[in-house]
Amino acid sequence: MATLAITRPTATKVTGTLGAEVEGIELSGDLPQETIDWISAALVEHKVLFFRNQHALTREKHIAFGARFGELEVHPFAKYLSQFNTKDEDPEVIVIESKTEGGGRGTDIWHSDVTWREQPSLGSILRCLISPEAGGDTMWADMEMAYDLLDEETKAQIEGLEATHDWWNFRLGLEKAGVAQALIDEMLVEFPLATHPVVRTHPVSGRKAIYVNSIFTIGIAGMEKAESDALLEKLTRQTAIPEVQVRLRWKPGTVAFWDNRSTQHYAVGDYGAEHRLMERVTICGDTPR
Amino acid sequence: MATLAITRPSLSKVTGSIGAEVEGIDLSADLNDATIDWISNALVEHKVLFFRDQHGLDRARHIAFGRRFGDLEVHPFSEYIAQYNTGKSDPEIVVLESKSAPTVRHKAADIWHSDVTWRLAPSLGSILRCIIAPEAGGDTVWANMELAYELLDDETKERIDGLRAVHSWDIFRQALVAIGTPEETLAAMDVEFPLPHHPIVRTHPVSGRKSLYVNENFTRSIVGMGSEEGDALLRKLYRQTEIPEVQVRLRWRPGTVAFWDNRSTQHYAVHDYDTQHRLMERVTVCGDVPF
Repeated sequence: MATLAITRPTATKVTGTLGAEVEGIELSGDLPQETIDWISAALVEHKVLFFRNQHALTREKHIAFGARFGELEVHPFAKYLSQFNTKDEDPEVIVIESKTEGGGRGTDIWHSDVTWREQPSLGSILRCLISPEAGGDTMWADMEMAYDLLDEETKAQIEGLEATHDWWNFRLGLEKAGVAQALIDEMLVEFPLATHPVVRTHPVSGRKAIYVNSIFTIGIAGMEKAESDALLEKLTRQTAIPEVQVRLRWKPGTVAFWDNRSTQHYAVGDYGAEHRLMERVTICGDTPR
Repeated sequence: MATLAITRPSLSKVTGSIGAEVEGIDLSADLNDATIDWISNALVEHKVLFFRDQHGLDRARHIAFGRRFGDLEVHPFSEYIAQYNTGKSDPEIVVLESKSAPTVRHKAADIWHSDVTWRLAPSLGSILRCIIAPEAGGDTVWANMELAYELLDDETKERIDGLRAVHSWDIFRQALVAIGTPEETLAAMDVEFPLPHHPIVRTHPVSGRKSLYVNENFTRSIVGMGSEEGDALLRKLYRQTEIPEVQVRLRWRPGTVAFWDNRSTQHYAVHDYDTQHRLMERVTVCGDVPF
């Protein structure tokens, strides 16, 4: 009699707050719908999922896996920027590579991805191809816990406020890469500054999260600059609380899938000139509310 | 023919800037001087060492291992502090136990600090052993304060050069007052533990490297500077611990031991495990006067 082995996936928490290591799933585009649903639910609950030893996950399968969760984002600026080293043939893949001292960095600051879009991404799936022997970890912060840990006065103060998000750092990168000003001006029309609530409500869980970050958020709507800067500083500093953090050490074959709506992340730049090569697939999201 | 197995210790870095996992040493064994020297050197270089699966290490052997590195500290206040739950039988042991803290952030060890910097000669290092760990949560994070110093801008480095700061055990004093410690006992402690003035930039006695030597838990003011200016500067300096590039984060299991250089690091006990049980024991090696 043949034995039918059905492996049920398991999720093991990595900290008391966020992050879970998932076992029992080989990532691909061919997973049954119930497994995809299981991952979606685990993603909202744990905010970032880690899958180890996914050595069979090629670029093609990575894209196919991502597409199961929604439309994939084509990052509008990545192809112009040398640190992303992205080829035109797979526009859904962002290549993140560093092999010189301080090379290809710029994500060593707390942020949520593409919050300068009207509809920032739902989540990203990042795959490690080459990792330094030590260093190059990524940290995530639970922005729902970060919100919960604010004092009541601050919570009341930020209720209903909106903030402006800008892709100014990409603009600098584009200028440096020699992209024509006329093209950058066209991009500004296509991607005008976005305005999002300072406190975001998760579309699935209904939980509140701090939704401003140190890279892209440039000001709170209708507030004097000094006051706005001080408030943004206070809110973004919540990411520094160890209780809201999880830290991942990558190995080739490690995949992380994060909920970009409820987390921020930080790529730790502590590996000098060692080689680190990652590929990211990003799933489109909805309008923050 | 008998095979004589000599395991040489090996070491692998955990991040690019701090922390190494050591394999090939049973801390409960009678280690030779060469191994102790190897550990001492690795400690200065990597600042915190992790030893896994040290299940043979009991309290007596933990104390014996610590003694190989110097005199052991008897924490003067731990016997009065309920959370330390220290039996008088082993005064060199500080017991760190938590099983009822209701929320995150209760500001005990979940605040960046270096140990006992309110002493004139704060400890060289601590050896912390995990006996019971929560299923998830209760990690410890260390910060490399030499790198934290290096990452300061030059203007700030110049500004703090030669400055000293006042360190205080006032948080213990408040706890001692709260439990009704007699006034004369407190007065005797005040005499025995006067508030030290340590350099803000400390030079490591072995490596000669400079590190940032103020911490949020015990540093109270900068000598010769007004409180407004001093507090702002201290807040800025404290924030260096928050830079992920200076950090390493350890997930404990029963049998995990961490040995940190208290002269060049700070640490933070992450309180994200609610009422789960966490039980640790610490042995502390006496240090010298910071310069």
